[in-house]
Amino acid sequence: MQSKSSKNLAESPKDMTEYYKHLSLFWTDIIHLMSSKPQALTSIGPMRAFAANSKKIAVELIEINENLLGFNQYISEYYKQLSSTWEVAQKKVNLKAPEIPQDVEQIEAMKRIWIDIFDNDFTELFDSKQFGENYGNLVSKELELTKHWNNITNVILQSVNLPSKEEVDEVYKEIHSLKKRVSKLELELKKEKRKNAK
Amino acid sequence: MQNESIIDPKIIEEILKFSKNVIEAPKFVSAPDEINLEVTPHKVVQQIDKTRLLYYKPITKIKHKTPLLISYALINRFHILDIHPEKSWIRNLLEQGFEVYLLDWGIPTSMDKYLDFDDYVNGYLDSSVEYIKNKSSIEKISLQGYCTGATIATAYTALHPENIKNYIATAPVIDGWKDTTVISNLAKHMDVDKMVDTIGNMPPEFMYYCFSVLKPFEQGIEKYIKFFKNIDDKKYVDNFLRVEKWLGDTPPIPGELFKQWIKDIYQKNTLIQNKMHVGGELIDLKKIDMPIFTQVAIGDHLVSPECSMPLHYAVGSNDKTLKIYPTGHVGMIASSFSQKKVLPEMGEWLAKRS
Repeated sequence: MQSKSSKNLAESPKDMTEYYKHLSLFWTDIIHLMSSKPQALTSIGPMRAFAANSKKIAVELIEINENLLGFNQYISEYYKQLSSTWEVAQKKVNLKAPEIPQDVEQIEAMKRIWIDIFDNDFTELFDSKQFGENYGNLVSKELELTKHWNNITNVILQSVNLPSKEEVDEVYKEIHSLKKRVSKLELELKKEKRKNAK
Repeated sequence: MQNESIIDPKIIEEILKFSKNVIEAPKFVSAPDEINLEVTPHKVVQQIDKTRLLYYKPITKIKHKTPLLISYALINRFHILDIHPEKSWIRNLLEQGFEVYLLDWGIPTSMDKYLDFDDYVNGYLDSSVEYIKNKSSIEKISLQGYCTGATIATAYTALHPENIKNYIATAPVIDGWKDTTVISNLAKHMDVDKMVDTIGNMPPEFMYYCFSVLKPFEQGIEKYIKFFKNIDDKKYVDNFLRVEKWLGDTPPIPGELFKQWIKDIYQKNTLIQNKMHVGGELIDLKKIDMPIFTQVAIGDHLVSPECSMPLHYAVGSNDKTLKIYPTGHVGMIASSFSQKKVLPEMGEWLAKRS
């Protein structure tokens, strides 16, 4: 079967472009189909779906590595903020407390100073924009890692003919919507019955 | 040997006593799992999905015609309101002759991730109000909301003022931008969409993290040192374990509800600006025109007074009272102070209007 593009090959430069586009698409598709055969040959039954989706898993793993870099950056900053605050607070305690407590009262007083200074300094840290932003970014990166893990799990679930997270969520959403409609109708009915009873 | 320091024998004595207490603690103290937190007798009168409407058995003659429904917070369980017979918020109200109902939100699962403000306000809370109205054959009831439960109760009261005779807001979460607590700082920087899309419900672990940044050294170290030091004090130990058990029992918060709560209260702050929508309806705080009693605690490090007090000024009611107490978030509802000061004042206010 002769394609439209090759039939009009010599007609105009525009047709020539079309022809090469077709040529490129033809070989891309053929190579793709041919290369998937050995992959199918090495997989059996339900594993076929898993093999077909293995590219998705590879992509997720590459992206996980990228996210891990970001995650490490924010978690380092998180611990840096905690340790700097600890250092400053400890210096303040050292200035106020006696070096070696001599009796029970002194130990108690030293403990009180330590707790008050540390609580104040750490509350100040947790309350700061700098901490809030870094913590927000850290959690966000953690969630991205979870998302990739979810995607990988979905590929595995689909390979064994189980519903993915998105499909289950769709069912939950539908159930929620139905329940909402039913309970609103029930409530309206009750209110109506009460009105009529008066 | 002039520079040799002398160690006070009392220090050694204290260390030995403390070590002995730690070793012997399991002999005298119950495990938190062995403690039953539901102290005041009650029955479940209505159950919708995972929520339960509890009716507390009267312990004295009912003196006030209007029943009271309590909308507890979304964080932790309702047991703190009935933590110990001597510090029970509910028991105290029963002793004052009130008829008390409480809405237990239950423990949401992954299946409940789409529950939102509308479900809580116009669904569960409205169904409970309707049940009580029907049961008592009255047109209006009294409503009390605590913490985030007061955010839900406030939305309900503004949307359904015809059902509420008196409204009590205890440490309500209202004006997120004015909140000075560390929780609001974390909430303001949270990508709540990503959290809910990825993990569904707000996980309890996140709440435990939030608790851990509140006075981390007082709450994380000193509290437990005190516990082991006072291991012989039965009353102290019993109270400590009950509160600890309650603190460790945090259910997840449904994803959609959590998303709306963080965005509308902490990030966009729409409730106090009368811009928040629930179930497609605008919440106008001016519509809260019934008697309102707002209780805030100066030492509240979960919901700062600056976050709660704006409710008092935003409502349309002419009969409004604002009480500020020198205590904390939990101290206001489950302490000797609440029994001696907070509850009698609230009871007196409510009795006059019930």
